[in-house]
Amino acid sequence: MKKLVLPLLLFMFLTGCNDDQKTLEVNDIGGEESEKVKIIMENEEEIYSGRAIFVEDQLLVAVQAKPWLDYKKTKIEKNLKKKLEESFPEYDITVSSDYKLYWEAQKLLKEDDGEKLKKKVEKLKKLKKEET
Amino acid sequence: MEQEKFDKIEQEITPRTPYVKNVLKAFFVGGLICTIGHAITYFYIIFFDFTEKTVGNPTVATMIFLSMLLTGFGLYQKLGQFAGAGSAVPVSGFGNAVISAAIEHRTEGFVLGVGGNMFKLAGSVILFGVTSAFVVALVKLILVSTGVIEW
Repeated sequence: MKKLVLPLLLFMFLTGCNDDQKTLEVNDIGGEESEKVKIIMENEEEIYSGRAIFVEDQLLVAVQAKPWLDYKKTKIEKNLKKKLEESFPEYDITVSSDYKLYWEAQKLLKEDDGEKLKKKVEKLKKLKKEET
Repeated sequence: MEQEKFDKIEQEITPRTPYVKNVLKAFFVGGLICTIGHAITYFYIIFFDFTEKTVGNPTVATMIFLSMLLTGFGLYQKLGQFAGAGSAVPVSGFGNAVISAAIEHRTEGFVLGVGGNMFKLAGSVILFGVTSAFVVALVKLILVSTGVIEW
């Protein structure tokens, strides 16, 4: 029994980091914009998952940085925001790698009521700015 | 000659400290405490309006509160005996140090006993914590202003 513990642990450690499948989700507005966002996120090497929410003139993108790249989150956010701004100059873009925004974005993906959606996105933008 | 002989005999008789075993125990118990802390972090993120940036404060407060309860019930000292540094290094060890000192000096009265001795152990944690935080912030400030890293 004791001899099995070490190989088992090693196995768990090694399989934990073996997942290259990217999960990308965009809320349903139709048109080429959602495809465009998906392509941009697909090309971003440093993230493993991303969710984008379009509402009126707002675009909220919540991503998750790869575990070992957690320390340069702000840089990843900045780069992605720059790329998105080039493709969507007419949108007010918010990019975040925070887990809170990522989690809330999942709920917003299913939200159909435009008014509510906008309110929630505004709230998330405010949360992102909070420091303490 | 006598002294050397004594030293030799002493070394033969003293049981060897099981360093590897102690380190492993500390590693796993410390890791377990940190896993619980992380679970609390996600709890606050998911059910309350905290972001990764702001969730640190309520998490630390909860961990200290839990370890204070455990200390009061006499359970944390058992854990400390088993895991050593694994239970002392995470922030829950801080709560333990505060409450155990308070309990120990309870008989000396509230002001001079509990109040005066509560931070006997934890005081040094606060002092060196603040000092090292200042030094780290200084290093970061220098690195940021020279352009090596960003905020």
